[in-house]
Amino acid sequence: MRIELLYYPECPSHERALELLREALRAEGVDAPIEIIRIDTQAQAEQHRFIGSPTIRINGIEVDPHPELPYRLTCRTFVHEDGRLSPLPSLTMLRQAIRQAKEVSNDGT
Amino acid sequence: MALEIGHSAYDFSLPGVDGKTYSLKDFADKPVLVLFFWCNHCPYVKAYEDRVIALAKEFGDRVAFVAINSNDPTQYPEDSFEEMKKRAEEKGYPFPYLFDETQSVARAYQATRTPEFFVFDEERELKYHGRFDDNWENPDQVRQEFVRDAIIALLNNEVPHYSQTPPIGCTIKWKV
Repeated sequence: MRIELLYYPECPSHERALELLREALRAEGVDAPIEIIRIDTQAQAEQHRFIGSPTIRINGIEVDPHPELPYRLTCRTFVHEDGRLSPLPSLTMLRQAIRQAKEVSNDGT
Repeated sequence: MALEIGHSAYDFSLPGVDGKTYSLKDFADKPVLVLFFWCNHCPYVKAYEDRVIALAKEFGDRVAFVAINSNDPTQYPEDSFEEMKKRAEEKGYPFPYLFDETQSVARAYQATRTPEFFVFDEERELKYHGRFDDNWENPDQVRQEFVRDAIIALLNNEVPHYSQTPPIGCTIKWKV
């Protein structure tokens, strides 16, 4: 499983995002390295299709996809299951994304 | 490095989303002034929005709350004056929401983040600067309510226990 965490250093949520991601991987029994990519410039944001920090992709698929958003240096907002707005994805969102990636892998698709 | 504790509040003249222009004298009848840098797009602002609204409603008769957006809307269109008006109306902001288009007020206060709070006493001397509380992630797990504690201390003519904490949030989006 390929796991990427992209972050913009001026946005302070990335360390907590990494902790959450590790917690989600542990909970789903996945032992895979996390590729951490730092985004500092607008050009890098465009190159990496970065819509804000943190961006987490599993096997290339965004945990919380928003194709309508522009590529830019910003912090991003996640809507949690209870409707709360947060600078971080919820643990549930991360675990669900990991499970879906596992299912796709098991299906061989 | 933001304004030092004890420094006087800088005056300003900024348009609010309600069509009025505000300066410090508009809040002179309140013994405490909470001035905070704010915006629409930042998720930290969104995470704190309901908490700040609740606090403003709780202390609104004795404390002036003033939100200022200094972000460059050319880079972040969600932070334009028009979008500010929409956000204030949607959420029913119980405080003025002002637009610092030239960014001069943010520079004067040496603010760097949204949200970032400055609490002034009756003489309009800075008594607290920093974050709202100690848990942006989960309102149910807050243990220290820095802004609230500062307000209560000042209303009781006491010195806030915490005078400074590092603000946490998005960086202010400066014009290039």
